[in-house]
Amino acid sequence: MNAQRTAVLMFCLIPPGLYAQTPPDFSGVYYPINPFGAFGRGPAPGKQPPPAGKAPAAKGKEKGPPPRPTQSAPLADGSQGRSPDAPSLTPAYMAKWEMIRKSRMAGSSEYDNTAKCLPPGMPAMMTMAYGMEVMQNKDKITFFSELNDALRRVYLDGRKPTQKILDDPTYAGYSTGHWEGDTLVVDTVALHENSFIEGFSPHSDAMTVKERIRFLSPGLLEDRITVTDPKALTKPWETVKTYRKATSGNDELREFACPEGLGDAK
Amino acid sequence: MRVRFVLAGILGAVLFGGAPGLAHHSNVAFEVTKVITITGVVKTFEWRNPHTWVLLTVDDGKGGKVDWAVEGRAPGVLLRAGWTKNSLQPGETISIDMSPAKDGSKTGLVARVIKADGTILPNAGPAQQ
Repeated sequence: MNAQRTAVLMFCLIPPGLYAQTPPDFSGVYYPINPFGAFGRGPAPGKQPPPAGKAPAAKGKEKGPPPRPTQSAPLADGSQGRSPDAPSLTPAYMAKWEMIRKSRMAGSSEYDNTAKCLPPGMPAMMTMAYGMEVMQNKDKITFFSELNDALRRVYLDGRKPTQKILDDPTYAGYSTGHWEGDTLVVDTVALHENSFIEGFSPHSDAMTVKERIRFLSPGLLEDRITVTDPKALTKPWETVKTYRKATSGNDELREFACPEGLGDAK
Repeated sequence: MRVRFVLAGILGAVLFGGAPGLAHHSNVAFEVTKVITITGVVKTFEWRNPHTWVLLTVDDGKGGKVDWAVEGRAPGVLLRAGWTKNSLQPGETISIDMSPAKDGSKTGLVARVIKADGTILPNAGPAQQ
């Protein structure tokens, strides 16, 4: 009897990660919750300028004030400065940000990868503004972004980035992961500097990204992201993304085919 | 033959040069903190990536007409917000709440569309809020 009790007690004391045989399945389509942080919420009451013209009479339909065209609107060109929770840039990279800001405020797309149909890159792509599809098996988990049809693969089979891979950086980088209990821990390296951390905060080729991904509750996925960059950041930058699993009838992403409209890009 | 193509190109440039073009803009091309409303008649509705387009003929208030080319969200986003590729038909009157272009051209970025019967076509469905 005592031996049985001891066995049960010992089992309970073992950290869950050591006896969890089957990791959670993240597969599915998700939409981000408040993808652009505090700045992505609607305008403060009274801040929205009134419409210049008149709309046809709404027949019993609540029209309300017009919304902004994009959730990222106030941050899109930097005209309202940096978000208080933006990455803390070193002076050299802050100067670069200011230079990009001037270009964007003038309406130029020179530093806008999205407008050029380029992949958003890591970690910006995890904003997943248009929706995300996760495909998972034992050895690999793949994250797909509807925005710009961007893709990243996370290898779970124990492989590590080789020197050849480190010498060939990309937008999404090279990601390897392992399970710690129900949390997927992912390390991303081999990122070139032609993308942004978020918004248009620049980074160097020394940037690495660590993520801890888990279900907060059924269908509610969280990605805690830590970005380290000894050249561009004064301290590691942390951000948390949450995604809600799509419901039936709303669980299909569409082809993006960005270059369809690139022929006369401005 | 080649000369003909060149001539056709020049003719096209002359004919369409004055109308707003369907250039692919970044959000930075628009005053996204401002929203104005225009009302007019749909000329065409282009359902394509990375942005949809509404070409709208609007009264200029002086007895003339002026064409606007207004850029909307991507088809995938609009599908989930309740639109289809047939949501706007040529000839129908609509209002568009939109952010105007920074350069003052007759273009903008759609915030939402209001049809003549009051139906609102928003940019995002409840699942994406």
